[in-house]
Amino acid sequence: MGVNVEISYKSLNKHQEELCGDKVELLKTKDSDILILADGMGSGVKANILATLTSKILGTMLCNGASLEDSVETIILTLPLCKVRQVAYSTFSILQIFHTGEAYLVEFDNPSCICLRKKSLLKIPYKERMIHKKKIREYRFQVEIGDYYVLMSDGVVHAGVGKLLNFGWSWENIAEYATKAVTTCFTANRLVMSLSDACNELYMESPGDDATVAVAKVTDKKVVHLLTGPAVEKEKDAQMIKDFLEGEGTRIVCGGTTANIVSRETNKKIRTTLDYLDPKIPPIAYIDGIDLVTEGVLTLSRTLTLLRRYVKNEVDESFFVELDKKNGASMVAKMLIEECTDLRMYVGRAINVAHQNPELPFDLSIRMNLVHQMEEAVKAMGKEITVTYY
Amino acid sequence: MNITVCIGSSCHLKGSREIVTKLQELVRKEKLEESIELTGSFCMGQCVRGVCVTIDGTLYSLSPEQTEGFFYKEVMGRLTP
Repeated sequence: MGVNVEISYKSLNKHQEELCGDKVELLKTKDSDILILADGMGSGVKANILATLTSKILGTMLCNGASLEDSVETIILTLPLCKVRQVAYSTFSILQIFHTGEAYLVEFDNPSCICLRKKSLLKIPYKERMIHKKKIREYRFQVEIGDYYVLMSDGVVHAGVGKLLNFGWSWENIAEYATKAVTTCFTANRLVMSLSDACNELYMESPGDDATVAVAKVTDKKVVHLLTGPAVEKEKDAQMIKDFLEGEGTRIVCGGTTANIVSRETNKKIRTTLDYLDPKIPPIAYIDGIDLVTEGVLTLSRTLTLLRRYVKNEVDESFFVELDKKNGASMVAKMLIEECTDLRMYVGRAINVAHQNPELPFDLSIRMNLVHQMEEAVKAMGKEITVTYY
Repeated sequence: MNITVCIGSSCHLKGSREIVTKLQELVRKEKLEESIELTGSFCMGQCVRGVCVTIDGTLYSLSPEQTEGFFYKEVMGRLTP
């Protein structure tokens, strides 16, 4: 089984703290994805240093093939001692999911991972063992497509303690909340936001502790082919369309002229709509066999701003409202953010002379810039991307 | 009769949306929904002449301000023999 892992996380800082004492580290090895969540003792700078050191050391060592024993030992010997408490301490969880579907989860003193399979809670058996006097839980299991794994720091479990709730949110209630949340086709990011927002509300928007939620969702590989721009040499158009149409995947065409070429080469009619769902974005069109057909540069510029907001984690309710809109730009962004693990771009580099018109209120000759910036944004999301130029 | 308005990038920036909206209003006002079909089209390859509008294949170059005049002269002119 070839699985793909979609990972997302969000931290809430303790009230009035500039630095977070929780740290999330994401790593990709040749055959696996690793998610590490460390929670340093205390809060502020000290906690931040402890958590950062812990997650970095674990990540670097495990990635390079060190054993768990060696990695934990290194942490114990490396972490600076807290002057007040005379201990060096950071809790952690490590979740490693291999492309084969095998998974390995290690927990030290963090709330245990919430595992959701087919919309219900999954109990996974674990083994406890002592490494350097620290009690560590180890889980080995097989993931299935559609599974969610929720890691969190104890700040989430304690949300609302002594204020809205006598004993905090509690693991059982969080698990129930998560189970209910995923009944719609939720992405990892949407689950993170939903849990983190609920947590923030329970704290009445002033968290008593750093609170971090990280979610790994197991998905299929989802390939998206995106075609934009006519080839420099007209004779290459046919080859470009052929490459674009080859293999499995969702197909997007961005560009009016490009769409006309697809229609010509495939002998399929193009149907344009006149539905201006957003005054700034030209309407979409339809070609049989193509999943989405939009205008080019104006649409992609807007798509890029959405991708960037996502990469910068400027994601809130209003972001999803925008993402769920039915204009061409939001539709492309949604496909790239939520329904894509591998993006293949086919980019024609022809220049439309009429677009280099200084009287136009928008510079239309920026396709190449847009493509480069989209490439960067998609990479930053941890997706695979290839770009072929014609 | 078919009226097609280019909604490609360049024509969009030159105001094809306003033209589409105006034409839709005029068609409704003159109760011509039965005889006029309004459609959009991606780039017609004549960006320099935008906004490109065709009536049954004949190309016209329009700006939003000219739409009403165009409608009564060219469109209505063709409809009433």
